[in-house]
Amino acid sequence: MSEHRAWRGYLVASVAVAAATLLGVALGQRASLADEAMLYALAILIAALSGRGPGLVAAGLSIGAFDFFFVDPRYTLDVSDPRFLITFAVMFAAGVAIGGLTSRLRAAEAASRDREQRTAALLSFTRDATGASDRAGVVRAVVTHLRETLGVEVTVGAGLPLEITPVEADDDRRQFVDAIGRQATIAIEKLQLAEAAREAELAVSTEKLRTALLSAVSHDLRTPLAVITGLASTLRETAPASEHESLDMIVAEGGRLGRIVENLLAVTKVEAGATPRREWVPIEELVGAALERLAPTLGDRKITVDIRGDAVGHIDPVLGELLLANLLDNASKHAPDAPIDLAARRDGTGIIVEVADRGPGLPPGTEHRVFERFFRATHHDNGVGLGLAVCRGITTAHAGTIEAKNRDGGGAVFRVRIPDAAPLPKFDVESA
Amino acid sequence: MTSSAVLVVEDDRSMRKYLRGALEAHNYAVTEAGSLAEANTATAAQSFAAVLLDLGLPDGDGLTLVRAMRAAASTIPVIVISARQREDDKVDALDAGANDYLTKPFGTRELLARIRVALRHATQPASDDPVIRIGPFVIDRARHEVLVNGDVVHLTPIEFGILALLARHAGKVITHGQLLSEIWGPRGKEQTHYLRVHVAALRRKVEQDPTRPRWLTTEQGVGYRLRDE
Repeated sequence: MSEHRAWRGYLVASVAVAAATLLGVALGQRASLADEAMLYALAILIAALSGRGPGLVAAGLSIGAFDFFFVDPRYTLDVSDPRFLITFAVMFAAGVAIGGLTSRLRAAEAASRDREQRTAALLSFTRDATGASDRAGVVRAVVTHLRETLGVEVTVGAGLPLEITPVEADDDRRQFVDAIGRQATIAIEKLQLAEAAREAELAVSTEKLRTALLSAVSHDLRTPLAVITGLASTLRETAPASEHESLDMIVAEGGRLGRIVENLLAVTKVEAGATPRREWVPIEELVGAALERLAPTLGDRKITVDIRGDAVGHIDPVLGELLLANLLDNASKHAPDAPIDLAARRDGTGIIVEVADRGPGLPPGTEHRVFERFFRATHHDNGVGLGLAVCRGITTAHAGTIEAKNRDGGGAVFRVRIPDAAPLPKFDVESA
Repeated sequence: MTSSAVLVVEDDRSMRKYLRGALEAHNYAVTEAGSLAEANTATAAQSFAAVLLDLGLPDGDGLTLVRAMRAAASTIPVIVISARQREDDKVDALDAGANDYLTKPFGTRELLARIRVALRHATQPASDDPVIRIGPFVIDRARHEVLVNGDVVHLTPIEFGILALLARHAGKVITHGQLLSEIWGPRGKEQTHYLRVHVAALRRKVEQDPTRPRWLTTEQGVGYRLRDE
């Protein structure tokens, strides 16, 4: 298109100079040399309106034609009167000046038209991109817009900020492509924010619903349970000794049911992804609280506790106590009348707790399955197999590990490791 | 001995019936309320020695009653009996002014023990005696000295502070927050882990078997209690 315009400019220059010459020749003696010069000036002006090149060409041709046809001696390129050199210089300067001016104007006009087009293209792209409902939509808008406005094919990267690589483009288009890329990145970021907000809102409402449901279930189970254990313990105060055992069992079983409710709540909580509230807790305190809680079940069972030094764990104290209580409860259930050994120690970056019994041990191949919910090692097993699933849930929530294996010399051993999630503070107890 | 009047605020009829039976068997006079409104009517008509309060009531949260009573400068002991298990709920109840907390299900003996403690603290608020005797402990607050079964036990100032505070409120749960602000001051609020480590050290000095504390018990996620019986 611009080449075509250039050719037309040079054509205009040649025609204008030829016309000026013909007119000058036709007028003959009726026109003075100054009139001829003016005719050529007009031709140069007309040609220069097409740009700097045609202006220069018209100036050159005009000087040549004027000299050849009109300046004495005629029909030669000789100049007898040096005054005409000034005329030539003026003609040339006019050609250059007007041509240059026109060229600059044209260029400015073209640039502003380009800018306008690109702003419009960018606007229409932004409209399409913000209307898109997902990343793919934004990318589609990028590709079609660049194809339609620039005629550029592009490939789009998978990350953010969006990386758009044109198949081929000059610096000028490259800039426009980058601008589109920035807009597209903003659009995608907006979409992601909106999506995150929607998810958070959903999570909050789900959490609310679950908490409401659980607290309702928990409330509705606990109150009748409280009546049963309460009445049984009241009856025991006045009942004859022959009935004490039965009444004690009602109270103990009531307590067990209470723990099952608690386990249900805990397993739902940790599986829903609730973050444990970790604190530095002496393991001794957790063990003490767990043993106290299990006192009615454990009776006078022999339990040896071996806790090294002032072993502290970085653990949610409420969940930690429940974890230990479940491990101890499990050991006491599977190894009745056998002693239970509990050991805890730090290994530098975490706490390790082992609960070992001298029961029948685990049937071969069930070492992993014991932590599945509702798994029972044998069909004589009472309980719904929730306790160990809770242990695994709590351990996993603390990014820890739990394993079960058979113990040398008979029995099972459960080993839990809870890694610290923060650097161990310095506990200077004695100097305080 | 005149019987102490106890108000039982609980929406479950069976639970009220059980509580009435258990308390009357121990010479308490029981008034029942099934809702906040009934509780308000009862407290306006009569004064009580203690209130047993369920939190989930049909016309609102039981804590509003505690708050209203404390706002009206009432010092009647309130023991929350709730099916709510979250430790935050317990701390909220204690912070609102409840004296103690029992989670359902609980035994009658435990309930009666809590009521006795609450009544005793109501008639003689925190013990200011220079020497406190509880179980095997003799705590001499003036001389900063502790005897366990007659033997002097060396405690650090913080350990002594913890034991003395728990002893002044013997039988009652003291929250982590209360212990921290009392012993470390307002800046101690976030130092629960130090508190736990100091309590563990204290247990090793005063308990026969620190893994099975007989006296200094843990209320997980809430605080500590020094048993008094």
